[in-house]
Amino acid sequence: MQSLLNILRLTVKELRALRGDRVMLLLTVYIFSVAVWMVSQAASTEIRDLSVAVVDEDHSQLSARLIDSIRAPMFAEPDLLTPAQANEAQLNSEYVLVVSIPPDFEQDLRSGHDASLMILADATAVAFAGNGSTFMAQNLAQEVSDYLTPGVSSDAVVDVVFRNRFNPNLTAQWFSSVMQLMNNVTILMLILSGSSMIREREHGTIEHVLVMPVRPHEIVLSKILANGLFILTASVLSLVFVVKGAMGIPVAGSMGLYIFGAALYVVAVASFGLMLASFTHTMGQYGLLVIPVIVIMFLLSGGITPLESMPDWLQITMRTISPAPHFVSFAQSVLYRDAGIELVLGELAAMSAMALLALALVIARFRKILS
Amino acid sequence: MDFVARLDKVSHEYNKVAALRDISLSIPASKMVALIGPDGVGKSTLLALVAGVRKLQTGSICVLGEDIAGARVREQLGARIAYMPQGLGRNLYPTLSVQENLDFFGRLFGQKTPERRQRIDMLTRATGLHAFLDRPAGKLSGGMKQKLSLCSALIHDPDLLILDEPTTGVDPLSRRQFWELIDHIRGQLSNMSVLVATAYMEEAGRFDWIAAMNDGAVIATGSPESMRERTASATLEEAFIKLLPDGQAQQPFSQRPREAREPETIAIEARDLTKRFGDFTAVDHVSFTIPEGEIFGFLGSNGCGKSTTMKMLTGLLKPSSGHSQLFGEALKNNDMSARRDIGYMSQNFSLYGELTVRQNLLLHARLYAIAPARRAARVNEVLKQFELEDVADSMPAGLPLGIRQRLQLAVAIIHRPRILILDEPTSGVDPLARDAFWHKLISLSRDDGVTIFISTHFMNEAERCDRISLMHAGRVLELGTPEEIVRRRQADTLEEAFIRCLESETGNGDDDADELAKTPVKNTAQGPLRSSLSRLWAYSWRESLELLRDPIRLFFALAGPVILLLAMGFGLSFDVNKLSFAVHDLDRSPESRLLIQSFSSITQFEQREDLSSVEELDRRMTEGSLTMAMEIPDGFGEALHVSDEVPEISIWIDGSMPFRAETASGYALGVLEQLSDQFSTQSSELSPSLSINTRFLYNQAFKSAHAMVPAMLMLILMLIPAIMSAISVVREKETGTIANFRSTPVRRFEFLSGKQLPYILIAWLNFWILAALGLWLFGVPLSGSLPALSLAALLYVIATTGFGLLVSSFTRTQVSAVFATAVLSIIPTVNFSGLIIPVSSLDTSARIIGLAFPGAWFQPVSIGTFLKGFGISSVPLNYLALAVFCVTYLTLAVLALSKQER
Repeated sequence: MQSLLNILRLTVKELRALRGDRVMLLLTVYIFSVAVWMVSQAASTEIRDLSVAVVDEDHSQLSARLIDSIRAPMFAEPDLLTPAQANEAQLNSEYVLVVSIPPDFEQDLRSGHDASLMILADATAVAFAGNGSTFMAQNLAQEVSDYLTPGVSSDAVVDVVFRNRFNPNLTAQWFSSVMQLMNNVTILMLILSGSSMIREREHGTIEHVLVMPVRPHEIVLSKILANGLFILTASVLSLVFVVKGAMGIPVAGSMGLYIFGAALYVVAVASFGLMLASFTHTMGQYGLLVIPVIVIMFLLSGGITPLESMPDWLQITMRTISPAPHFVSFAQSVLYRDAGIELVLGELAAMSAMALLALALVIARFRKILS
Repeated sequence: MDFVARLDKVSHEYNKVAALRDISLSIPASKMVALIGPDGVGKSTLLALVAGVRKLQTGSICVLGEDIAGARVREQLGARIAYMPQGLGRNLYPTLSVQENLDFFGRLFGQKTPERRQRIDMLTRATGLHAFLDRPAGKLSGGMKQKLSLCSALIHDPDLLILDEPTTGVDPLSRRQFWELIDHIRGQLSNMSVLVATAYMEEAGRFDWIAAMNDGAVIATGSPESMRERTASATLEEAFIKLLPDGQAQQPFSQRPREAREPETIAIEARDLTKRFGDFTAVDHVSFTIPEGEIFGFLGSNGCGKSTTMKMLTGLLKPSSGHSQLFGEALKNNDMSARRDIGYMSQNFSLYGELTVRQNLLLHARLYAIAPARRAARVNEVLKQFELEDVADSMPAGLPLGIRQRLQLAVAIIHRPRILILDEPTSGVDPLARDAFWHKLISLSRDDGVTIFISTHFMNEAERCDRISLMHAGRVLELGTPEEIVRRRQADTLEEAFIRCLESETGNGDDDADELAKTPVKNTAQGPLRSSLSRLWAYSWRESLELLRDPIRLFFALAGPVILLLAMGFGLSFDVNKLSFAVHDLDRSPESRLLIQSFSSITQFEQREDLSSVEELDRRMTEGSLTMAMEIPDGFGEALHVSDEVPEISIWIDGSMPFRAETASGYALGVLEQLSDQFSTQSSELSPSLSINTRFLYNQAFKSAHAMVPAMLMLILMLIPAIMSAISVVREKETGTIANFRSTPVRRFEFLSGKQLPYILIAWLNFWILAALGLWLFGVPLSGSLPALSLAALLYVIATTGFGLLVSSFTRTQVSAVFATAVLSIIPTVNFSGLIIPVSSLDTSARIIGLAFPGAWFQPVSIGTFLKGFGISSVPLNYLALAVFCVTYLTLAVLALSKQER
């Protein structure tokens, strides 16, 4: 009972400390509002406004139609270039795609000869060259067939109906906004929890508290509770008002379940931050340690590129040491696919286990840290 | 009379709080001059202004006959003044040895090697440091650090030596030796003026001339004798108190003897307490017993083990051996009730700065589980008792030190403990407040029977204790009542007794100090360029040594880039492979099997267990275990052969990750396209056939890593070098060694580029390691010119380290330097420099933001040289732009750095 009361009192104290830190508050507001919006607008792998050039050596009606068919939103307005110019320009990364229409293209097709179009993709833009050229090819094929056999819907022998589940138009923002939220939670939580521990150590306040009838786990839990509550509230508010409200992204799943999972994730990351803090002495050192951790946790969470694309050993490693991949998969299941708790139990269990392990380590090391 | 410094109407304020108020003072030359007064009265500010390290706000100052308003004058004076800032060895570099520290200072004054050797030899012999030339400064004792600081100040034969509280926290023996050393040196260099600030009044007696300061003003000047005579006081401390505006009314401190009780209860008992940190023994078999109600004083210099002993008594530290008992019981980690008997006050202010005075008291009352009914009353009672009512709702940070100490004591006794453990509670508190504090202690001990265990380095405080113990280097040397100890050591005062005690402990106090060489060393002046290079090199050389001896920074600098490249190279992949898919085949015809097989045969797809129902499809997709699902309707195979029927299949793709979904549908389209050709040739229908060929340029295999690794080079070589160089400057601000830059003739450019140089080399080394990893581990082809790329990388890392220097000019702590650099560099490099989104697809404003950072210029060179066969001539503009960034960042950083503190 006394122990619970102590945790509560220390939590209130931590919250007061947060309230006093104006810079941190402003930063948090900014990160969860403007930054979420900006980054999910900007950093997208959606094919949009892709730069294209056309080398038209046919100058026929068909080639003009093909050029017209290259348009927004996927492609930027194409520039017409000579082969030499195109070559030069693509070398300078001015265009991701160059479509080359050979001489007598239309005539060849009309006279029943085989004809070919060439798409040159700058494969140094890996995220766009592949999908961009696939869509371009699809678009050109459609245009040619429309032109040659107008009225016939398709000359394909098989009709394929594609349905994109959970995100029918494959809007990248749906994905990137929620991933950005997760990313913010990770960064802020690591910094807040770690620095709240190191600050107390640097100021000597932690010694002061330990001389009192207060147990180490009460201090640790109060820090996680206070900072976790703060970040969780901020992220949920951001989800409701910025992501759902301002950006208009539909969120299918149960908010209650999402908040529960997010709370677990917050606790896991906070424990992780405290654990890292227990290995350093000053804020300067913690800063150096936490930067690569943040970058790795973020980039290898499955939130930027699919986890399946990583080598198996790396997938297994990341799933073992980082709660982030579990949260990404949890968030996708709940928010987009409306999965129930039975489908995400595994991820929830993994996050809880990591939180417990890190917590146990922090508490075990607690008194050692002081000496 | 000659004056070494004249101040005319000098005022100074920090954030509108006045530190100096309209001071006009003429300090006589060739004398030992002291500024005396408690902490926080403006002594340090005054010294810093005279030394030229702090920017003058109002008034004027002439030092050595020259007005220091001009930067050129200050630069020349820098070579004639030596300034030793406050804080024990704060201007020294702890990981550097004595020799290396002194070498560094010698180089700063442009001394050639032989001259430097000679001077170092002479000074270290004179101070007795010669035997410890190879010992790191951080491992010297307090007294030795002080001597080393002095050596580094004297290395250039200054005309004016400015020492800011040089002996604070040093044991009395070292203190005495220090002053003897100064006298000795003045004997040799008789026209050197010495200007000292000190809070030890008893020390000030040895000076020729004294200026007493209080609250930003000089309240009296003159010789110590004249000051005592004027106030009719026995000691300078008494004289000082009488000189204070309300000092006359002050009652002299009165002591109340302790009444011994029978039988005595033992409150604290320590037996053979020992604490080792690694191979260093901080506390060595310390034993004592303290009866209830006694005031027990613990005397010793900084780092002698006082605090460690106290921490063991409170249970904060576990003794390595031996044990301690409070009221006959050992304190266990889990023993919460025993903790209610202890009140503890640590050396530094350790209450929560973010809570008000009242909130701090309430928090402690709650944590000590004072019943809610009595809590508010107790808090008010304590506020009253310690005269804190007026400040109850203020934040502690804004309060004067004396009041904060009272608050700490109030917090420590709020739960009425039976034992108080106070670690140097009065250091830095002015004599008046100190007396008031002691009144409280005496009353607690005599009236409430509280046992008080207090550590101090003030002798007059020690005299007020019932019993004291003298501690040195982890051991208790003496224990008894002050009178006993004085008698036993046959001394007149406690201080003398302490000194004798130390002398008998460390052998003869007067160590192997030699005479200062009679023939002064010749100044071998170098040309301006040579000495400028020498100063630049001093910083490069020292920065490299420090970096090599700091494992965390070194690890970050060398392993950080490799770890990031490995993680991102393997992890950040746009190769979409092994997409999980499952089929719901209602047809089960040869044609449907052919269709399925054409999917499962390519590596992009990985077939999972077949689906048996639409519900299962739903479930498995919701779970996230399928990326793609396909349904082939009944009659698919037959319909294929009927010419006017077009069979329909359905494909579901998990759209929760758009990039993967787009790629999956692209792959599926490709497979179906091929299949469709296959089927239509089977049906031998003749139609003009259009083929669309896609050629992937520069990366024929279309491997993600080939494009990502060169791009990662750009990101990593931005992030890590910038953080490293930003930290290198901000560290100096944080540790205080920046004072050396301010007080010596180093120019801003020399300081910054000197510090930048080692990081450029490390970052360039990083480039070679990363490039090697890219070539051999990730198999990225190198089609262009490696020398050209390495040149671009060199320019790039000069620019990025320069960026770090620029960031350091507006950050104050290492943490803010790390995060500011990371945030400022990551956003433009990741989003607007072509790392993922090609620059050609960005809109104009994003493109401009990107081009304002060097990353966007290096990216095309890196990608181009690896994959497109570039040399310098392919993108000359980019090389030029990088060079411009190098120059611009360094120039801006130089302009933003202030040689004087504000």
